[in-house]
Amino acid sequence: MSEPAIQIKEVSKRFRIYHQRTTTLKQALVNRERGKYEEFWAVRDVSVEVPEGEALGIIGENGSGKSTLLKCIAGILIQDQGSIAVRGRLASLLEVGAGFHPDFSGRENIYLNGAILGLPRRYIKSVIDEIVGFAELERFIDNPVKTYSSGMYTRLGFSIAVHLDPDILLIDEVLAVGDEAFQRRCMERIHDLRARGGTLVFVSHALESVRAICDRCLWMDHGLPRQLGRVDEVVAAYLAEVNRREEAELESTGSAEVDSAPGRMGVRITSVGFSGPDGATAVATTGDPFTVAVGYEAPQPLDGARFSITFLREDGIPILTVSTDDLETGGGSLPRQGMARLSLPGLPFLEGLYRVNVEISEIATGEPYKRLDRVQPFRVHSPGRHEVGLALLGHSWELPQLSSRGARR
Amino acid sequence: MATTEALPERSLKQRPRAPHAGPWASRYELLLELVRRDVKSRYRGSVLGVFWTLLNPLIFMLVYSLVFGKFLKVHYPGGSATVFILSGLLAWTFFSQALIMATSSVVANAGLVRKVAFPWMLLSVSSIIAALVNYAVSLLLLIPFMLLSHKGIGLPILAVPALVLVTFGISLGLGLMLAAGNVYLRDLQYLVSLGTLIWFYITPVIYPFSLVQSKFAGHGLEGVAAHVAIYINPMTWVVLGFQDVFVFNRWPQHWHGLGYSAVFALLSIWLGMRVFRRLRRRFAEEV
Repeated sequence: MSEPAIQIKEVSKRFRIYHQRTTTLKQALVNRERGKYEEFWAVRDVSVEVPEGEALGIIGENGSGKSTLLKCIAGILIQDQGSIAVRGRLASLLEVGAGFHPDFSGRENIYLNGAILGLPRRYIKSVIDEIVGFAELERFIDNPVKTYSSGMYTRLGFSIAVHLDPDILLIDEVLAVGDEAFQRRCMERIHDLRARGGTLVFVSHALESVRAICDRCLWMDHGLPRQLGRVDEVVAAYLAEVNRREEAELESTGSAEVDSAPGRMGVRITSVGFSGPDGATAVATTGDPFTVAVGYEAPQPLDGARFSITFLREDGIPILTVSTDDLETGGGSLPRQGMARLSLPGLPFLEGLYRVNVEISEIATGEPYKRLDRVQPFRVHSPGRHEVGLALLGHSWELPQLSSRGARR
Repeated sequence: MATTEALPERSLKQRPRAPHAGPWASRYELLLELVRRDVKSRYRGSVLGVFWTLLNPLIFMLVYSLVFGKFLKVHYPGGSATVFILSGLLAWTFFSQALIMATSSVVANAGLVRKVAFPWMLLSVSSIIAALVNYAVSLLLLIPFMLLSHKGIGLPILAVPALVLVTFGISLGLGLMLAAGNVYLRDLQYLVSLGTLIWFYITPVIYPFSLVQSKFAGHGLEGVAAHVAIYINPMTWVVLGFQDVFVFNRWPQHWHGLGYSAVFALLSIWLGMRVFRRLRRRFAEEV
């Protein structure tokens, strides 16, 4: 192997946090206020070598210093300690459409943005139809970009950016914007880059993308490098840590505060709580009994009220909605306050974080009295389960049998 | 194994790589685009467009020549108050516009500086070149006035590029310092507007230099101070050069002064680049 494409040696970056953001001359001269600031190490003692052709992912929570590190590699920020050596032509993509001028047409901005990213005008001229076509902006390309929707703006920025052909590409989160087709196109270009032997540094919260693209991964934690290694291992370790932290929080909140402001006709939801076989908890196990309890209060007895509960995956995809319409008795008449309980004899959900929507509505009109969305996270563990996905479905297998002669003894 | 190797081949054939421009070629390309942007954005959306560039100095020229020539009865050498004032005023407008635009050039592009690494100095350079383009357009104003005056247009017009170059150099050097300083101290942009206003009066634009030579000398402390200020002002000699060419149709007379201005320009560019390079280290966080 030759020399690394990027060599980061003991890099630290410090930011100044001003107590009072003073950039007026009077304060600078008279009070000398501007001198007062606290120092804060955004990145501390990071050493990484990225060999040519490797894809390195950088993960970590918000404020862990991963973007700061990326900006140091890009040369936007200059580290306070340590050194960064880069071999090859580097391009960084921290924002799509950087430097777009709102009064200029899309066409003019293609040349401007292209030049900022380092693309020669002659080259852009030769591919401009491709850029415009891919952004699907043929009809609007000569209108000023201030008239564009945010989607059009992003698409145009992307179409220019995918024409970059650097030896080293730094990407920060930009893959998260844009629709499916764009993300796919972006992935294609990343694969092109890698196939050519290009080097990639990729900062993202999207752990799946990191896992799909990168060979190695660096986990940043409060500015410090926590772990560097094979992408699977680091992502797994990071996930485990995130889960641990989350649980510590959830365990203390079997039935936490909810928004108990009165809804229509003064109906309030006073609590939403979960319990398992061992009592109140927000950490459950697949297959165990699980109960959701919804406390309510109303100024007068509720006539014909329906309770419904929706279980959602972390990303907001609804899995199941159940309501008291199941009951033969309907809602009937309910006292002014009480608790509605939904019991699942065996919790079908698999490993992950889930939330619920809770609604109390009037059966006659269907109008909600009170609705809470995406409240009360709970975590599900599935120890020893082989199933992968969202939820258990009853199943059984049948396999062909070897005839007794061929069977191994 | 064979299948995994087929993928890169397909991808490679998909499209030729973008050409690799050298660092200087791409700087030049970028500068060109930025100038294009700065010049265009100035005229975009204004009805009279380029006529503002002409109208503004024209009106000031008329006001000044009315006040000083007619009311105050200042005697302008060369006979014509209009050509005299206009020749200095255009150069001054270029200089002050360049300074003001350069000062805010980095801060005005904060979004870009925070997100893209490129030679940010080009932002300041392009704003000064944009001012130069405006100046070149405004020079058109002089032609009818010069043709009307009895001196005409001759060979000394060839000195104009050199004079412009010195003006450009001074504004570039100071502009780089101000642009970098303004990132840390936003008051600079207001100070620059005020400063250029004062500087205007210690430059012999609306009064003839001969007036200074004859009247200020030996008139107490403030007379001496004003005298010194005008002499050490590098713009004095440039403006005098422009007046020599445009008013008298002769080669610039104050060679020593112009030499001083040229040295001033070189030194300020050197210092400006040093200051800019040093301060840009924290641009992305401070801007």
